Amino acid sequence: MAELHIIGQIVGASGFPRSSLFCKWGVHTGGAWHLLSGLREGQTQVDCPQASDTAFWSHPIDLHYATKGLQGWPKLHLQVWHQDSFGRCELFGYGYCHVPSSPGHHRLRCVTWRPLGSWQEQLAQMFVGGGPQLRSPDVIYTGADRYRLHTVAMGTVELELGIILRHFDKHGVES
Amino acid sequence: MATNNPSVFLVMINGQIEGANFPEYDDLYCKYCFVYGNDWAPTSGLEEGISQIACRGQGTQPALVWNFPLEITFKSTNPFGWPQIAVSVYGPDTFGNDVVRGYGAVHVPLTPGKHVRTVPMFVPESTSRLQKFTSWLMGRRPEFTDPKVVAQGEGREVTRVRSQGTVTISFNIVTKDMKKLGYDATPSEALSAYTHLQG
Repeated sequence: MAELHIIGQIVGASGFPRSSLFCKWGVHTGGAWHLLSGLREGQTQVDCPQASDTAFWSHPIDLHYATKGLQGWPKLHLQVWHQDSFGRCELFGYGYCHVPSSPGHHRLRCVTWRPLGSWQEQLAQMFVGGGPQLRSPDVIYTGADRYRLHTVAMGTVELELGIILRHFDKHGVES
Repeated sequence: MATNNPSVFLVMINGQIEGANFPEYDDLYCKYCFVYGNDWAPTSGLEEGISQIACRGQGTQPALVWNFPLEITFKSTNPFGWPQIAVSVYGPDTFGNDVVRGYGAVHVPLTPGKHVRTVPMFVPESTSRLQKFTSWLMGRRPEFTDPKVVAQGEGREVTRVRSQGTVTISFNIVTKDMKKLGYDATPSEALSAYTHLQG
């Protein structure tokens, strides 16, 4: 059985209209993958940066997977939310990226998007906030029903991930 | 001396906490400690330390410099729980009390070689404006009871923080027997450059 270690952190996010942000993240894999240790999902702290416009979370990710096949390589999906001073949470973006498949240190920038409603909903959103959200989060990382969505681009999330592979070359896999 | 079937691999970490960039604060010192999983154990070196108190330079050197050495070697059977360095920075406030100016953590790099990491620092925020004013007056700011909490992912969803400043740390990493145990952490471009030199 081959093993994969994902060791890194969700560094932070930039390019969003407001800055008191947190991120809910999760890792989705195919059926051949088995999580041996680590947390496959979590939620970061809420950060309001003092000086810069980048929100920094430095949320550690440490996952150990064992696998019998290459299909269903792990995908990291993110939801960026904004928390205002009253404690209300508003969705600011969905995004996903594949975990890198080559060993070593990688710096990733994951782009995010937000569903756009009708023009009445957009007008209401300008005044009271809120806005449409996805009913089930798997649309974030699957392509199945995307053609129904109309979205607008939001900021980017920065991640630093280190990948260690074990026994992949014994099974003849080059990466 | 070297066995053909090693059961542990070693990671040797040399480096320094070079300094910090806090635009609003001066006279800062830092504490570091290494946080690691259950499969890891330090074999030599210091797991924690406190630096000197440093002031910003004048003129063309606005940075704050500690130049604080890090030397430690770990042995492990499993990359899970890879060591992280958790840094906390403290300094005086207007009344002279010692308050926390930032917490941060970063994983020690996975690959051998020289690496520089810039770690963002954050402080926990008070819940209300009254608490914020009281803590400013009394000199007792919100702090984490255990600085190692910044290296963990659980329980973070209930904290609100404010990020201010960064700390720069440089590492030189040497690993032993990771390849013999089957672990591949080297990027492929480095490998292809190496085989080009060989053949």
